[in-house]
Amino acid sequence: MPTRINIGPVHPSTHGVLRLVADVEGDTITNLEPHIGFLHRGVEKLVETRMYMQSPPYMEKLDYVAPLAMDDAYVATVEAALGIEVKERAMYVRLIQLELQRIASHLFFTGALCNDMGLMFTMFMWCFEDRDRVLDLLAQTTGQRMFYVSMRLGGVTLDLPPDFADNCNEFLDYMEKRLGAYENFMEKNPVFMERMKGVGVLTSQEAKDLGVTGPVLRASGVPYDVRKAKPYYVYDKLHFEVQTDNRGDNLARYRVRIMEIRESARLIREALRQIPEGDAKGMPVKLIGPAAKNRTVTVSRECPRGEAMMYMVADPQKPYRLSIRSPNFVNLSALPHMAKGHRLGDLFAIMGTLDLVMACVDR
Amino acid sequence: MSDEIDHDSPEFLNARREMDLLVAGSVSEKQAKPNVVFAKFADLIKSMPPTKDAVRWSRKNSLWPLQFGLACCAIELMDFGAARVDAERKGYLLFRATPRQCDVMLVAGWVTKSMVPEIKRLYEQMAEPRYVIAFGECATCGGPWWESYNIVRGIDQVLPVDVYVAGCPPRPENLFAALIKLQNKLGGEIEDR
Repeated sequence: MPTRINIGPVHPSTHGVLRLVADVEGDTITNLEPHIGFLHRGVEKLVETRMYMQSPPYMEKLDYVAPLAMDDAYVATVEAALGIEVKERAMYVRLIQLELQRIASHLFFTGALCNDMGLMFTMFMWCFEDRDRVLDLLAQTTGQRMFYVSMRLGGVTLDLPPDFADNCNEFLDYMEKRLGAYENFMEKNPVFMERMKGVGVLTSQEAKDLGVTGPVLRASGVPYDVRKAKPYYVYDKLHFEVQTDNRGDNLARYRVRIMEIRESARLIREALRQIPEGDAKGMPVKLIGPAAKNRTVTVSRECPRGEAMMYMVADPQKPYRLSIRSPNFVNLSALPHMAKGHRLGDLFAIMGTLDLVMACVDR
Repeated sequence: MSDEIDHDSPEFLNARREMDLLVAGSVSEKQAKPNVVFAKFADLIKSMPPTKDAVRWSRKNSLWPLQFGLACCAIELMDFGAARVDAERKGYLLFRATPRQCDVMLVAGWVTKSMVPEIKRLYEQMAEPRYVIAFGECATCGGPWWESYNIVRGIDQVLPVDVYVAGCPPRPENLFAALIKLQNKLGGEIEDR
């Protein structure tokens, strides 16, 4: 007879308000049930009552660790629905901002993961210090610290400032050195490695069946990245490699993210070299946009947590319907499969490597 | 323990004088001898006449927040505890996971109807005296979600709030300002609750 244990909804390691009900035999999880909905506020319904460009602030709050990624996904959907072309320089500016956001998000992941694993505070402090530097860079280009709302139809709010390239390159040089220190600290720690290696294995077949995306999928050895598979902006003009790992365990998921920080740095450097002169300003926010009635579009974007997809039925003034495929929701659904057969203590390590944002799950 | 203290010993009188000065504010925390403040603090509090002031002083300078994040503002809350802002230098100590060890609850994020019973329960588990900071627009008034069908428009409909912080999300520095406001309140500059 298994014992039933309640975890959450307020638990420091659940990254938001997630309730888990675990059946355990001794210390081993036999069944796990996530209960969600504690942050549900009906975004999809609210968007239907707003003009097109009133909605980006709502979209940013879906994934508050990487707000720009969701903002971009939404604005790209509106652009596709209204048939608006993005200016070439704006594509580069967006790409640079998105990749900076990816670095910030993965740094957050690393700090939070180490907190969950009990490597309290050293990594957390390091990662947040470096994340603050990324936020400073983003503040230089967007004017905001956390919620940027910097995407406009056809472009961005603010162009890159004149000294941005130097600041950015300086940061990236620093970050690459810093990553070495991170790896040294974590991968030489026997406790960390013990809880990472071979724990929470997700085989590539299971990963495909469950529909997980992003670093979780790539860590199971499937080289699927929306940036390569369906290139948007100028990702097809720049050089980067899709980072994969065949092991599928916690360590692989962490390694993939650390390697992605390096790839993002490479992308930003290349984009800063290639960025053309010109205008990057988007259209001013017009509340009423012309749109073909009943036009449906689907746009997918590679967010730091996986593939975000938005399906929109457009109306002249407002979206008639917006449906969001949240990467976190699907990744969370893989948790019971991964946690089964592991010890209760490892559950939080596995959940940490999934890098969940509950606001995106509940919507 | 208090029976063992010799109330007339020069050691005790000296410590008491120091403590009085410290509470009155004429001696800064740096100048005070550390052994007086830290080693015998429990005994001092029990046996000294200006108990109210001493308790108030210590309460003000060791606020333990509850590690409880709801949504976006929790990210700035984490930044508040991290290296750049460094909340600990003002006595805002470790974020604790259990409400029973905490003095301050930071409601960081939007409050949904399904979350209200849980928040109430956490608040009730905290020991008196307890304080609530409504951090961000959502906890203050519902913020951008004011039209939503599942949102409580402000945590003050459920709990008594001491300090409101504006912003979406507020910068960590704003939270620092809120903390200093709360400390002033505890220090008696604004009337005690």
